[in-house]
Amino acid sequence: MGQANCDTTAEPSLERLLEHPAIWRGRSVARAATLSTGFTRLDVALPGGGWPAAGLTEILTVRSGLGELRLLVPLLARLGAQPPPRWAVWVCPPFEPYAPALIAAGVPLERQLVVRSAEPTWVIEQSLDSGGAALVLAWLAPGVATSVTVLRRLQLATQRSSTPAFLFRPLTESMRTSPAELRLIFEPQLMGGCVRLLKSRGGERRPLELRWQELNDVAT
Amino acid sequence: MSRRERASSVTRAFRAPRHGATVQVSSRTAPAPRALMSSRPPDPPLPLESLFDAAPEAWVALHLHSAQAASSDSMNALARLAEIAGDFTSRVSLEPPDAVLLEVRGSFRLFGGAQGLSRQLLERCRAAGYAPHWSLAPTPLAALVLARAGQGIIVLARDRLVGLLAPLPLALLRWPDAELERLDSVGVRTLGVALRLPRAGFVRRFGPKLLLALDQLTGAAPELRRPVACRERFRAQVEPAFELQTVALVLQHLEPLLKDLEHFLRTRQSGVDLLKLRLQHRKHPATRLDLRLATAEAQATHFAELLSLQLSRVALPAPVLRCELRSGVLQTLVVRSESVWRPGEYGGGAGRESPALIERLRARLGSDAMYGLCLVPEHRPERAFGIVELNATPSRRTSQAWCTTRRPLWLLREPEVLVDAPRELQLFEGPERIETGWWDGRDVARDYYVARDHSGAEIWVYRERLPPHTWYLHGVFG
Repeated sequence: MGQANCDTTAEPSLERLLEHPAIWRGRSVARAATLSTGFTRLDVALPGGGWPAAGLTEILTVRSGLGELRLLVPLLARLGAQPPPRWAVWVCPPFEPYAPALIAAGVPLERQLVVRSAEPTWVIEQSLDSGGAALVLAWLAPGVATSVTVLRRLQLATQRSSTPAFLFRPLTESMRTSPAELRLIFEPQLMGGCVRLLKSRGGERRPLELRWQELNDVAT
Repeated sequence: MSRRERASSVTRAFRAPRHGATVQVSSRTAPAPRALMSSRPPDPPLPLESLFDAAPEAWVALHLHSAQAASSDSMNALARLAEIAGDFTSRVSLEPPDAVLLEVRGSFRLFGGAQGLSRQLLERCRAAGYAPHWSLAPTPLAALVLARAGQGIIVLARDRLVGLLAPLPLALLRWPDAELERLDSVGVRTLGVALRLPRAGFVRRFGPKLLLALDQLTGAAPELRRPVACRERFRAQVEPAFELQTVALVLQHLEPLLKDLEHFLRTRQSGVDLLKLRLQHRKHPATRLDLRLATAEAQATHFAELLSLQLSRVALPAPVLRCELRSGVLQTLVVRSESVWRPGEYGGGAGRESPALIERLRARLGSDAMYGLCLVPEHRPERAFGIVELNATPSRRTSQAWCTTRRPLWLLREPEVLVDAPRELQLFEGPERIETGWWDGRDVARDYYVARDHSGAEIWVYRERLPPHTWYLHGVFG
């Protein structure tokens, strides 16, 4: 953008033009709509300041239950409080979502919908397309066939419906390409976890160490 | 009423002896010849008495032939007739064992006057295999009597009514035999004679009930009729000309049934939330499908879509010979406005799309594959939450947290035995003692700890208080 300095009148309008969400320039930060994660430092690290509001996010972990769900609990609580009532769809969760803990975190139980199915991608796509879901959380077992085409369909479905979807996948998938808008790796740590962005439109590249206590500062 | 019709009714009225003077005084005259001309000048103002004379109601009586009425399914026949009548008016009443009454005054304009309406009504009856006697009269009882007498006539004006009724036998009123015999013994055999009797003496001898019936016959007293409740289920079947091999063919043949169902529901302003489908095979037992909807619906396309989803789960054991579709109980259809945009799109609200999700998932995956969560006030962790059947839309009610100690986000369905627990785990919260449950035979005695396993994940473990003090993994702080 060296030429912009020559023409001083063109610069502001060009800058404004480049703020369009559809335009993303290299390492710059994408301006797509985002949802705050509830963690201030994570918000800063993520492009646009939060989870993509209309896009597929992949969270890669070595195995399930390392604390990755806690990244999303603030979002679950916040979306659950918003009218009109819409479902938070849990597709094939690895364990039972435990109601007392959810309610203690402020997640409204009445809006949680747990679906167990042999065809999770179909459920995800239906949930997104129906418009009845506020967000979709899905756990894809290693056995489930998830080709790039399937993931791209899901990514397009999230954009069509302006609904966020989160896929929890094994870390081995990090070597393979994915059309997801945001991919991050989560590793557990003492009283927190470490988040590394694997793919994002801008954002912080260094690993980010989060403490669960940080959430409380924001929430209260 | 057309002019010609009125003219013919007048001649008919004059043909019949006019006995009705005691009951009803009418000064209506024949229409002026001027009115019969094709290019008529503007109507003169109506005389005042014509306002009182115009009968506010017009009742059609459909009276089954004795052969049809005597057969065992006369009530079925009446129900079918009532259903047909329901297409013409909302005021339908049964007169068991053999007649149906319907009030059609408000429907004249839609069906082309009294003649057009009665013609269409009789055509529909004939198409359904019934040929009832009928009559149209200003009062239900008069229509019934005229129909019983087998006179297929249209009487709209009350002043003509008495003249037409007068020559008919009194027995058509179906009064008790004893009363009819007493009346017969004093020479009263026709309606006309009965209507001419002095009222005071009639009440004294035969009671007020019979006088009321006479008044209701002529319209001097109103008659309230109990409206019939329409049939509350839909049932239809299709027997295709050839055996249906594939699900797609079955769906294709179900389409007209679903259209019928939609029409059936629309005329009743109702919807159904349960459809039962039965597919008959030659040798195998019939395949049954229950389609449960989240809310009452009436759209054929909606049903078809869900049925196709549900049928996609089914493997037909053999070709289908016959399809039968039955509906659940009809429910009031709550018509909601649909949103232009999807929810979330430009701030659009959740309209009909929200229940659609549950329906589609249920149709494809079955009810067992999906559930909601609820809280149970119970101290044992594995019983502190429940699984609930889902409503169409998430409810607005919110439950309150009651547990103050820390609980994991994930719970294992069955606690997992930890073999080498004390060496591998790093316990850092606890113990929290959770005990007893003697009242239902699932006694527990456990000490719970928050621990960290070798990979650094926070887990919820417990140790049995009774020997052999086994360690279990029960939850994950995911």
